[in-house]
Amino acid sequence: MRSEHEINRAIELHANTVRRLCMIYLKNYADTEDIFQNVFLKYALNSVSFANLEHEKAWFIRVTINACKDLLKNFFHSHTVPLDLIMEQPIEIPPDYQDILEAVFSLPQKYRDVVYLHYFEDYTAPEISQILGKNVNTIYTLLTRSKRILREKLGGDKYEL
Amino acid sequence: MNYKLKEIFNQVQAEEELKKHTREYINLQRQRYAQTKARKYSHHIYAAAFTFLLVILFGGHWLYFTPIMTISIDINPSVELEVNRFNRVISVQSFNKDGMALTEELDMEFKNYTNVIEQILNNESIVELLSQNEVMTITVIGTDGVRSEQIMSEIETCAAEHHNTYCYFASSDEVAAAHAMGLSYGKYRAFLEIQSWDNEVTPEQIQNMSMREIRDLMNGFPEQEDELTNNGNGYGHHKRGHGSGNGHGFGRRN
Repeated sequence: MRSEHEINRAIELHANTVRRLCMIYLKNYADTEDIFQNVFLKYALNSVSFANLEHEKAWFIRVTINACKDLLKNFFHSHTVPLDLIMEQPIEIPPDYQDILEAVFSLPQKYRDVVYLHYFEDYTAPEISQILGKNVNTIYTLLTRSKRILREKLGGDKYEL
Repeated sequence: MNYKLKEIFNQVQAEEELKKHTREYINLQRQRYAQTKARKYSHHIYAAAFTFLLVILFGGHWLYFTPIMTISIDINPSVELEVNRFNRVISVQSFNKDGMALTEELDMEFKNYTNVIEQILNNESIVELLSQNEVMTITVIGTDGVRSEQIMSEIETCAAEHHNTYCYFASSDEVAAAHAMGLSYGKYRAFLEIQSWDNEVTPEQIQNMSMREIRDLMNGFPEQEDELTNNGNGYGHHKRGHGSGNGHGFGRRN
């Protein structure tokens, strides 16, 4: 079990990454809160030592994605409608970026995490393949297809990818 | 769009409220985890202590209440003492009325067997019987040779001061046959010898006879007298002071 100090440090360092991944996968705040808390609880109870901060960050990404996928696969979750589903996530996005965000959210799920990791976290395809445990070529394919879909949705060459 | 995507994702920040709730949640879970762990370990400790206690209790009970030796004492009262590995008398069995009276009169259980034999030898009725030229036989019945010899030697020491007292050793296999007939081992041996001369004698007759009466009966057989003299059998062989215990051990006159 980790110390309180270690947990607070990890929350300060990785909270935003976990939160963004939750936003990509989940559609309501209650689920986000559940996953967010469970990921950090797993970290608190875990005694794995990380080689460096990058290694630790990759662990958080991997655990968050798995937790989100598990939640979405859950029978109860997929067959019920949470009370706050209709409530917007409490994040304010400038109107200019609304169309891009909508385009990203409209991507099939398998593209969303790749897009986030590549365009925001600046991970390369081999790094993403390691984090997600997928083949590098699969990552390249997913990136290429997601670019094409986004381009189509956002109106051709208007947005350069 | 690359830049715009970064901008969008940059807008997404973990809310302070969310972090605060998470810290609280983790603290709570950590406390529960520590309590559960402590409870789990305390259960293990209790279970181990309980098992240890059971082992000690049952093991101790078994060790204490398993007889390793039987001492059969016959004069007219016939009693048998079961002795444990700690030299304590754990049960007393009487084989006739006089034996019952003796066991009721004396407090023998859980005492050292040498003290019990001293008590018996110094009992008024026993002293009186011995003074009337009655014969007492003390038979040590066991399987452990060294241990039996040790006990035998101690009993001989106890009996040394008493007139007409004989000590024998017998193997435990013979005792079951004696008990099946309702006889103590000393009388059973005498019964077998008498039976070899007189087929009509019954265990019931022997049961109520004193060892002196038995001995006199045995002395009534002329061949028996010869045999006793020749073989040094404990019965009626006072002057030699040593004799074989019916071919199974040895006897000593004291």
